[in-house]
Amino acid sequence: MTAPTPEVLALLEATLDAVVIMDDRGRIEAFNSSAEVMFGYRATDAIGRNVNMLMGVVERGEHDDHLRRCLPGGEAPMPGRGRDVRVQHRDGSEFSVFLSVGRIPGTTPAKFVGYFHDTSLRQKALATLEKERQVNRLYLDLAQVMLVATDRHGVVQLANQRAIRVLKREHAAIVDSHWLDSCVAPEDRPVARVAFRNLLVSDSDEPQQFEYHVRSSDGEDRFVTWRGVALRDANNVATGVMLSGEDITDQRRAESEAHRALERMNSVARLATMGEMAAGISHELNQPLAAIANYAQACVRFLRMPAPDLPEISGAMEQIASQALRAGEIIRRIRSLVRNEDVRRESQDINELIREVHGLLASDARVHDGKLALDLTSPLPSVTVDGVQIQQVLMNLVHNAFEAQPPEHDGATFEVRIATRVTDSGDVEVSVSDLGPGLATETEQRIFEPFFTTKASGTGLGLAISRSIIKAHDARLGYRANQPRGACFYFVLPAHQEASP
Amino acid sequence: MKDLPQTVFVVDDDDAVRDSLRMLLKSAGVHAETCASAQEFLSSYDASQPGCLVLDVRMPGMSGLEMQHELNLRGVTMPVIFITGHGDIPMAVEAMQHGAFDFLQKPFRDQELLDRVQRALVRDAENRARLRHTDRIRERLASLSPREREVLDLVTQGKANKMVAGDLGVSQRTVEIHRAHVMQKMEAGSLAELVRMMMAVAPSP
Repeated sequence: MTAPTPEVLALLEATLDAVVIMDDRGRIEAFNSSAEVMFGYRATDAIGRNVNMLMGVVERGEHDDHLRRCLPGGEAPMPGRGRDVRVQHRDGSEFSVFLSVGRIPGTTPAKFVGYFHDTSLRQKALATLEKERQVNRLYLDLAQVMLVATDRHGVVQLANQRAIRVLKREHAAIVDSHWLDSCVAPEDRPVARVAFRNLLVSDSDEPQQFEYHVRSSDGEDRFVTWRGVALRDANNVATGVMLSGEDITDQRRAESEAHRALERMNSVARLATMGEMAAGISHELNQPLAAIANYAQACVRFLRMPAPDLPEISGAMEQIASQALRAGEIIRRIRSLVRNEDVRRESQDINELIREVHGLLASDARVHDGKLALDLTSPLPSVTVDGVQIQQVLMNLVHNAFEAQPPEHDGATFEVRIATRVTDSGDVEVSVSDLGPGLATETEQRIFEPFFTTKASGTGLGLAISRSIIKAHDARLGYRANQPRGACFYFVLPAHQEASP
Repeated sequence: MKDLPQTVFVVDDDDAVRDSLRMLLKSAGVHAETCASAQEFLSSYDASQPGCLVLDVRMPGMSGLEMQHELNLRGVTMPVIFITGHGDIPMAVEAMQHGAFDFLQKPFRDQELLDRVQRALVRDAENRARLRHTDRIRERLASLSPREREVLDLVTQGKANKMVAGDLGVSQRTVEIHRAHVMQKMEAGSLAELVRMMMAVAPSP
């Protein structure tokens, strides 16, 4: 039995693995200090004993066989490669190591060296690493934004749960695919490519912002606003990009719908004829009035009962009060609609205002099988008016004119004419005339009274409101008979002082 | 046979109008149920529930007129009283042309509404009684054998037993037996009653 040389011993002491040298019968000949730490035996105690004592209960029988197989003429001449085995500490506890056993060349009888690599440590480290990875993954997945990382070629390295949900693709289908080519909506790829390139070449660590659509697996495009930064290695070379994106499709949709609704409302307010407006107002007023009448009449009936239901009655009375207030609120709104304090006055060219609504008025004309003619004097001194209100008045007057068309006209096109002219005093007159039957004298006297109407379904408010609008402009809405026949409504707006030389 | 109590269904999108109608009807001892929209009513209405409808002509979503159209499509025979606002007369006229029971312009006197509701409820009861009557006749008709049905058709055309026997190629005695069965199964006391029954279920021209 030859003892190891000092060089060998020094080598043995330097390694972190437990190293054990044994003879052909498994008797331990050398036991390094890492082995002492790993197994809890002192070298002096271990040397001379069988290596079996280091093996776990299950391994013991096998190990004998293993060694035997390593002997000359055995089945496995040089094991070299190792395997995971269970070993036993002096205190009886078992743990896993990676064991490789090799025959020391040129030894007869054969000697073997075993390296015990503590994989439990490695496994612990691996487990810790895995755990950290999972936590990181969790952070990524908990994020309410899409997170996507790509390498410098745009190949996806990472995508979080949110990104997977928005893209409606499996994780595996995203990772390793090319971000621009597989996930970005085709129309937006040029934009996305530029943004990607900018990130890679940028010197700044500030996130860059951009927006483009991604396409989900079912072909749906989602609009995403992105913040991106370049990922850099130790030498500050960009190795890829990290993108965080927020899917704002629904938000955008809601915004644009709200915007459309607003536009619609504006145009309705602008384009509704006085008659329509008035019909709406009277309907609105009728509701609380009807409710009040119903409640009050119900109260009377309840009160006549032998044992009136007082809670029911007082509830109805409260309703009466609140409905009366509701009616008052509606009236207040109508007043503010036609009062001048809420209007925006600007210096305007009346001809321009007329041309603006011409298209709409012309379609009203078509509905009535008629024609709208413009007879505009140009240039006109500018006037200070609320353009929308003046347009409303015009629409109302034109609408009324077409409505005045006799049901059985003689096939001739019914024409309504809007004319502008400068009066002798230098002011601007706007008139709307038709070739209908005109107004009977008694009608003429009452035509501007609220609720006076000659139409079957009229409200009698259109002209009244028109008149108050014109009055708020320090002018007067008047009526005169048209020549040779028909009706003519007109108003004269004072010319703008500064604008008219 | 007296079945479910009659209910006035009020459909109006205006909370106050709807609630005030319910209360007004309640003060007159009429049971009312309210819905805020035509859709709400249509989804919950059970055709076996007798009563009448009080409908606002103007409603967002499905208007009163559209709802009337839908009811007609579904074969709902419940009388409909329309409530209209100022300037809705053309709509009311259209509603009447499509079989509305009546209409009321709001605001209205309580008695005007209550009278119309009472009349509508009577009409609904009559309609339902008539339907029950014709249903019963149809059931009895279905219980006849083909030969009995032939005899019935010929008899109610005014043919005497002898002629019926000739038409069918059977003996007069056989016709008499069939005829007796017909009268029994149809629960008809006389030929005149049998004829009335057949007229009641005849498809209207």
